Amino acid sequence: MAEQSVSIYRSMKDLPSTHLLGTGTPMCAGCGGLEALNQLYDIIGEKSVFVNAAGCMTLLSVYPFTPFRGSWLYTAMASAPAGAQGVRDALDILIQKKRMNPDDDMQVVVLTGDGSAYGMGLSATSAAMERELNFLYICYDNEGYGNTGQQFSAATPHGAKTATSTGSAGYPGYKKDLFAIWAAHKPAYVATIVGAEPVDLARKIEKAMSMKGPRMLIALSPCPTGWDFDPKETVAIGKLAVKTGVWPLKEYVDGQVQHTKVPRERRPVEDYLELQGRYRHLFEPEKNVRLISEIQKRVDDYWSNVED
Amino acid sequence: MYRIRFHGRGGQGMITASRILGSAFFLEGYEVQDAPRYGAERRGAPIFAYVRADDQPIYERGVIAQPDLVVVADDSLIPVPAAGVLAGVDDHTVLLINSDESIETWKQRLNLCCKVFTLPAQAEERAELRFMGATCTGAAARLLGAVSRDNLARAIRDELAEMADAIVEKNLAMALDAYDRMQQYAGSVTTKTQTGAGDYRKPAWIDLPFEDARISAPDIHASANSTEVRTGLWRTLRPVIDYERCNQCWWVCSTFCPDGAIKVIERTPEIDYDHCKGCMVCVVQCPPHAIEAVPEQTAQLQDAEQGASS
Repeated sequence: MAEQSVSIYRSMKDLPSTHLLGTGTPMCAGCGGLEALNQLYDIIGEKSVFVNAAGCMTLLSVYPFTPFRGSWLYTAMASAPAGAQGVRDALDILIQKKRMNPDDDMQVVVLTGDGSAYGMGLSATSAAMERELNFLYICYDNEGYGNTGQQFSAATPHGAKTATSTGSAGYPGYKKDLFAIWAAHKPAYVATIVGAEPVDLARKIEKAMSMKGPRMLIALSPCPTGWDFDPKETVAIGKLAVKTGVWPLKEYVDGQVQHTKVPRERRPVEDYLELQGRYRHLFEPEKNVRLISEIQKRVDDYWSNVED
Repeated sequence: MYRIRFHGRGGQGMITASRILGSAFFLEGYEVQDAPRYGAERRGAPIFAYVRADDQPIYERGVIAQPDLVVVADDSLIPVPAAGVLAGVDDHTVLLINSDESIETWKQRLNLCCKVFTLPAQAEERAELRFMGATCTGAAARLLGAVSRDNLARAIRDELAEMADAIVEKNLAMALDAYDRMQQYAGSVTTKTQTGAGDYRKPAWIDLPFEDARISAPDIHASANSTEVRTGLWRTLRPVIDYERCNQCWWVCSTFCPDGAIKVIERTPEIDYDHCKGCMVCVVQCPPHAIEAVPEQTAQLQDAEQGASS
């Protein structure tokens, strides 16, 4: 068993009250990904190099403006982990040659959307974990190619409407279990987070920062534009994703998966689905009971296998 | 050739509005060109759409610099330089503004000699904003005088075919109502012959030599300078804190703000209106409900009044 470290983040009161990431970014109002990034950047800090694969968040740093206080590098969609390897190597060589003080070392952070993490960049990520690259990987998962108008990705959940899944049953595929795929590589750390649960998020980033090797995080990112809901509901939807059991908060350390927040009485998935326009066809013109119960059953089956 | 320029904010349906108008022109037998333009910015940020329609093939490309008709879905965009609402507007241009203020007010305020029409149909609810595009298209179609009521309706049904019936009907009702309201101004829009390519005179360009990559690469040597971008201009609703009800928990609004636009000084939260995009997450999440959503226009008027009295 790994030694249980004591987190400095016990409650909301321990979270930072001012934020490091600059305002004025071009993300949509109510962006759930930006919310998570704001929270985790406070903990990662400015001694960091973000390696950003093409996606919504590459728009964070559009010349001549950047919200980052440290460094940032833009890569093609499938190449962020390879970019991170280059940056990590360069830092290591500089330190080795005594051209850089080890105290000035920087955390190398890959930042990609789900299109890259679940799909195009998965091979490069697998290889980086294989090489035990010392980096943090943060995937902001808005369950589709949001930057280009929400076409489906390998992260799109079953039944959701996307720009390329417009039928009455929505997306026919199933959301890929990236957590399990990543964990199967036995990296140092894998966790799921969401900006609507900031204490859980802070503890996980804190833990990841204390480790070396590949540390992988998936942040569910409610997306007002792509999921079609009023931006003010971003946090409410994030919380419901956890309370309905749709988005299990968990972590993988030393071969063990632990759930960090088990919803005691799970709310029905309907509560989560009906707030989002991408599921409106499940409720209008008439309720698609079969599809809703199928979604519910998959959530129930997942939790019936969770021992806690 | 008709040259029509649409201005709106991302999320207000102006791209769809331009598509509907383009389709309606096409159904009337016109050659049509229809192109939206987005920047790097998102929902709430200024967006543009261009429609050209002619009875001959259209060889003109790119942005419309000298519009015959300018349609403005959101009057708060007019003073925003980045929106460029008044760019290339001259005496022949017709301006259609979605605004509760009078035509005279706009003419005086903007010192305009051109024709101005207003649509006093400001949506009270943000959910209603998505229908603004349809209203604008309906009014624009009538002002142009080149699109029949039937073809407008058909274009709406074609373009919105994938939407739920109730949504299509709502859009239709809004568009046709606006079309009917503009009856007496039908055909107000006139076209203007513009300089052809043959008569084009090259501006006095300044040649810039190529620089070394180390100099010319778009590196940003600054820290968190995105604060120079005033995303507060995107806002249609403003969150206002009632400090008497604020229980100074400080962490909830500040932690959940997606933009990090709420900072807390000595347990008192302060909203940075230069950057708050108006998502209203704080309004929903504040435990004692001490934050209220106020329409941005109302809030600006109150600011102006307070400024005048103090």
